[in-house]
Amino acid sequence: MRHIRSNASFLALLLAVAAAWLPGADDAGSKALVTADWLSKNLTNPTLRIIEVSVDPGVYEKGHIPGAVNVRWHSDLVDTVRRDIISKEGFEKLASQAGLTPETTVVLYGDNNNWFAAWGAWIFTVYGHQDVRLLDGGRKKWELDKLPLDTIAAAPKATTYQAKAANGALRARLSDVLAVVEGKDKAGLLDIRSPDEFNGKIFAPQGVQELAIRAGHIPGAKNVPWGKAVNQEDGTFKKPEDLKKIYADAGIDGSTPTVVYCRIGERSSHTWFVLTRLLGYPAKQYDGSWTEYGNAVGVPIDNPAGTVWGGK
Amino acid sequence: MSAPASVTPVSCTLAGVLFFLGLGSSWYLAGSADFGPRQAFQVLAGLALGVVLQRSRFCFQCHLRDLLAPADGRRDSTGTVALLVALALGLLGTSIVLGAWIVDPSRGHLPPIAHIGPVGWHLLVGGATFGLGMALSGSCISAHLYRLGEGALVTLPALFGVVLGFGLGFASWNWFYVSGIVVAPVWWLPALTGGYGLAVLIQLGVLAALAWWLLGWRRAPEAAPSSDGRTAVLTAVFVRRWPAWVGGAAVAVIGTVTLLRGDALGVTAGIGALARQLSDVAGLLPVRLEGLDGFRGCRSATGEGLLSTNLFFVSALVLGSASAALTAGQFAWRVPPWREAVLALIGGILLGFGAMISLGCTIGVLFSGIAASAVSGWVFAVAMLVGLWLGLLLRYGRGQWKDPLRAPGIES
Repeated sequence: MRHIRSNASFLALLLAVAAAWLPGADDAGSKALVTADWLSKNLTNPTLRIIEVSVDPGVYEKGHIPGAVNVRWHSDLVDTVRRDIISKEGFEKLASQAGLTPETTVVLYGDNNNWFAAWGAWIFTVYGHQDVRLLDGGRKKWELDKLPLDTIAAAPKATTYQAKAANGALRARLSDVLAVVEGKDKAGLLDIRSPDEFNGKIFAPQGVQELAIRAGHIPGAKNVPWGKAVNQEDGTFKKPEDLKKIYADAGIDGSTPTVVYCRIGERSSHTWFVLTRLLGYPAKQYDGSWTEYGNAVGVPIDNPAGTVWGGK
Repeated sequence: MSAPASVTPVSCTLAGVLFFLGLGSSWYLAGSADFGPRQAFQVLAGLALGVVLQRSRFCFQCHLRDLLAPADGRRDSTGTVALLVALALGLLGTSIVLGAWIVDPSRGHLPPIAHIGPVGWHLLVGGATFGLGMALSGSCISAHLYRLGEGALVTLPALFGVVLGFGLGFASWNWFYVSGIVVAPVWWLPALTGGYGLAVLIQLGVLAALAWWLLGWRRAPEAAPSSDGRTAVLTAVFVRRWPAWVGGAAVAVIGTVTLLRGDALGVTAGIGALARQLSDVAGLLPVRLEGLDGFRGCRSATGEGLLSTNLFFVSALVLGSASAALTAGQFAWRVPPWREAVLALIGGILLGFGAMISLGCTIGVLFSGIAASAVSGWVFAVAMLVGLWLGLLLRYGRGQWKDPLRAPGIES
């Protein structure tokens, strides 16, 4: 009898473990991420849709995770005329073509440690999609694990997807940032660029154009480069307790909302994802970022290096 | 002037050493930290293309010249039909691959990697310049590369000229870009016709009609010398020139598989990147090349540094050709007379300039472009033919098509 009961409880345990791995049935901690191993065993799971958003959109055709749909960050996720994220109608069209329903578990991944996959996750969240996750380690981890790649573009059956109105609470505008700088609003500012950009020594990192005519950072911002959140060897996120410490050292503990920004406004989504989804902290993404702030007329900046664009 | 070519145990051993050097490099690259399977595969593809080009003498200039301005005065369309075979099979293979990537061409996305370029008058300038350069230098860039593997030293001033020509191209790119390329439409036939079927049928129809028309000038191939089975096959594969159409078909196959592995066939991206870095060092490069790196084609982007993937491909091509030439007894150091060397240099400059402005050459824009159903490939082809015709007239004069250059020991 006892033997049977222990067997039964073992079975129950097994079921519980299995249930924890099923999308939509797990706890908040892992609701943000899936592992490469798990994803490789769930490629045909009908409740999933895998979406690649890579900095280099052409990398998809050279081999992608089987079944994944390609989304191009510079044309599919933005309004190419206004400097804005994609419109609600545009997003609905995109999601319909990707065969999504509001219940679909969306797993995003991409190159460069999920930089723009995280940005995709932010936009999906802005338009109210419920279950949005990242593949931990993105393309890098998948390739390191030598998991299979496919070159056939997925052609999912189109749906009619209805998005929610854009959630403005996830997005900071220049006026919101200025309110923080002027002390009218209480929030933390987090700059995720390199220390040299933050300190105004350089205007842009190597290999990219200088887009702002001033160097430095938003007054009061703290600097935690995005890369501190990942394990360099495989691109996976660090453990939540390590992440907590990294951001606590910069004075960010989730007690007040944090506004994250970078240079052109996409990369900071990576840190936005860490703060909101892995640590549960309130955070907004300032997608105008330094390209807007550093060029805005009549706003205060902090430039410790004292560089002047065009030379002193 | 030239050393006699022959098959000896030494040449065969050397051929084997070179071929295994290529295979070994591929194996090394596959496991190296800085490179990987992409470069390893490109080395294999380059070796294969080198062997194919050398064995079949697949050369745009030579094939077209046999039709337009034959050295012995008798037109022969065999080679030109082989070019059409390459285009037709390349078109089929590439369309099969692209159909897997872009399921619905009407949605507005262009397939990545495939060489679909802007269509504008710059292609007329670039194509005609390139054609002129082919006639003056003796061949296009891919053929110069395989002839380098045969020991033809005339290719050295030509390739040096190509690098110079690229430099001139970079120096004038911004003017071309602002004056036209920026508003030039990027036309992809399947997007215009609403699907692959019609686009492929139309192009195959044009190629078939051209082939049918040109077959009127076809000369019967020489009969193979009779010998027993094994020797006949070995000789046919390793010594005798492959039928031209076999070369065309093989180029199409290599083009399709390289595309499948993430790189369209092209031979100028690596040389272009090299020229770009040299121009930069020499201070000749504009501070910014407007819009250049956003286009598809033989991109000269310098992101990969000096050792670009395409440079591995091109080097392996030379290695493959040398190995095939040594086996066939067709390798010989050939020193050109100074007049030919000067012509090769001038022709090379025109080739490089034309390839830079057009974002590729006869392989990158013409072959890979038409294979991908790009209108840019067709426009380049027409302009190149005009330039080549003019160049042949200039070089050989009308009615007396004699070639002082034709290498001894190589029938072509």
